[in-house]
Amino acid sequence: MWKRIARVNALVIKEFIHLRSDWWLPAFMLIGGAMELLLIGWATSRPITNLPMLVLDQDRSPQSRKLIIALENTETFNLDTQVEDMQTIHDRLERGQINAALIIPPDFDQQLTAADGQAALQLLLNGAESMAATNALRATEGLVRELGLGITLKRLGMEADDLSGFDPSLRVWFNEKLSEALYTTPAELGLMLEFTILLFAALTFSREKELGTLESLLVTPFSSLEIIIGKSIPVILVSFADFLILLAMVHFAFEVPIRGSLPLLLLLTLIYMLAVLGIGLVISIISSNQHQAFLLVMIVGFVDLMFTGYAAPVESMPAFLQLVAQVVPSHHWMAILRGIALKGADLSALWPNVLALVILGLVIGTVSLRFVRRALE
Amino acid sequence: MSLRHLLAVTRKEILHIFRDRMTLFLVFLAPALLLFIMAYALSVEIQHIPVAVLDYDRSAVSRSFIQQITAGEDLELHSQVNSIHEINNLLMRGEIKAALVIGPSFGRDLQAMRGIPIQIIIDGTEPQSGGFAMEHISRRAEEFINQSLSTQIEAMGGSSNSIRPIDLRVRTWYNPGLEPKVDLVPGLLSIVLGFPALSVALTISHEREHGTLEQLMATPISRPELLLGKMIPYILVGMVNAILLPVIAIMAFDIPFNGSFLLYFMLTCIFIFAVLSMGIIIGVFMPTQPAALALSFLLIFFPGFFLTGIFFPIAAMPEIVRMESLALPGTHYAIITRGTFLTGVGLDVLWPYGVMLFILGWVFVAIAALFFRKKLG
Repeated sequence: MWKRIARVNALVIKEFIHLRSDWWLPAFMLIGGAMELLLIGWATSRPITNLPMLVLDQDRSPQSRKLIIALENTETFNLDTQVEDMQTIHDRLERGQINAALIIPPDFDQQLTAADGQAALQLLLNGAESMAATNALRATEGLVRELGLGITLKRLGMEADDLSGFDPSLRVWFNEKLSEALYTTPAELGLMLEFTILLFAALTFSREKELGTLESLLVTPFSSLEIIIGKSIPVILVSFADFLILLAMVHFAFEVPIRGSLPLLLLLTLIYMLAVLGIGLVISIISSNQHQAFLLVMIVGFVDLMFTGYAAPVESMPAFLQLVAQVVPSHHWMAILRGIALKGADLSALWPNVLALVILGLVIGTVSLRFVRRALE
Repeated sequence: MSLRHLLAVTRKEILHIFRDRMTLFLVFLAPALLLFIMAYALSVEIQHIPVAVLDYDRSAVSRSFIQQITAGEDLELHSQVNSIHEINNLLMRGEIKAALVIGPSFGRDLQAMRGIPIQIIIDGTEPQSGGFAMEHISRRAEEFINQSLSTQIEAMGGSSNSIRPIDLRVRTWYNPGLEPKVDLVPGLLSIVLGFPALSVALTISHEREHGTLEQLMATPISRPELLLGKMIPYILVGMVNAILLPVIAIMAFDIPFNGSFLLYFMLTCIFIFAVLSMGIIIGVFMPTQPAALALSFLLIFFPGFFLTGIFFPIAAMPEIVRMESLALPGTHYAIITRGTFLTGVGLDVLWPYGVMLFILGWVFVAIAALFFRKKLG
């Protein structure tokens, strides 16, 4: 037994020596991961501002000026009111130079000051940039509602407080400040961990095969099990260290809380890592070179990503894909990560996911171990 | 530069790809497969989001309110619960993504125009479904309240115009439903066409890793011949995908194509040249394949997602980032795909972007060649 441990230890040391001369990948996984988290945290936490919008004011009245000033105050738009005709608007929309255009009709002021009038405002949106268009629509709708409410109150001779109770009150649980960083960074963290292990594990055998050193490793007295364990330990150690550093970053830089039990989270992370390691080793052993292994990792990684609820909610997918999601480890792990970190959930709430993850870890672990051993022998 | 030399390098590279069927398959089909996966995730229509209702009023009005909220495919009534505690449990376990609480005086307050005691609770940890549920519930609630208010105001002798003094008429060009997939799927083309560039980077660093680059340098083949010769097979891969990708987008995801296909194809070829040149720089700089993979992520894929204006509008970015995004081929190509797929504009609008891509491509090749000379000269 001790001999075995000593031999595995020797292998682990060999792998780390390799890493020292080939430190790019682990370094990148840390720097790249940190960069990606910063980029996405930065991109999603900024309000969308400065969207180019044309305003064709055919009224040029006190009411229309009031509307334009209110639009400016939303800071969503970069307004250009120097337009005279529809042709300019159509041209600029077609060239993608503006995200939206607002047309104020000539009777805008007249309709609004009348006791019973209704003014028509026309909003043109450039749907070719859907995110900008959606933000422009929301900002304009909110503004129009607010202006309209003021006029309604005046017409009915009511005070501003009379209708104040008609907005539903909103409570966001587990994320009171509605911070986007809380949505996105745990998902990004999960993504980084998955790709780190997959890439790292995929390299192990494909690299030795490509360089022709796998044969020489196989003729040594190491058993195939020892080789697999010796190759896996550095992958797990480096990826886990990577995960801890990124978790700390998410916690301190983006104020993502860890409300539940940290030891439980780390333990379940390890189980998840073993399952992904198994998949990575299989990719590694079926690829004849690194190029193939990398491309396979991309495809497997993105398929997994689909089931994490990051890009699209699993509940909305067809029934068949919902079933598939149940056998994807990252689907359960993301639920656990969000549950423990953000909701402060414990085993009594998370047990279905935990159970599924443990079973998947065991099944994928043993199947892949067998597969890789058979392939090595 | 001699054509014979160029073709010799190209032939060698093609032999490399064709030697192994799996490599061939992955190199050719990775862009299409990844587009398919990502486009599917983006086009999943959010629906069937599970919601719980806590009705303290239990009146006819509150029942019809619940019915209106849960009508349609968007939200699904998970259950009617009896206490906040139950809502907490369901949210914790992730069984519901949102809940609606109706206060005991709902019916009476609405009748007396005193406001409405309702509360929407959402799960703030779910990236998509929480926000979606919130938007839908509050929109339907507003409709319901407006209906009931206008019947009452009409009963008091007012007209329905007085409650809606401004009528906002929205027209969205190119993407009437404002569906994200319509512009994101064409946008993703620039990401997945980066995969041939990754392959170029990998094959060049492969030669360095194996020490075969020195041997190649000892032959009469010049350095530019070597770089371009390695690029040609992947230009072919890119061109095949340039045809395959829009077919997938149009057939499988219903993305419109309103422009000229020929124009699209020509400009896409220029983009492929530009992005492959980036791959060449990476291959020349990086000594091993894992290192090349790492740098490809940092230079091609992360910025491709976040800085090219596919997801986040460039207009909303700070000045410095906007300058940086101009140096990325993906930024110009995003305008080209939008123009050819959605707005259907011609060469008169798109030529500056094609020229920019062409210039960027040659600048990248020049940088690679210069560095290559220094490194091995």
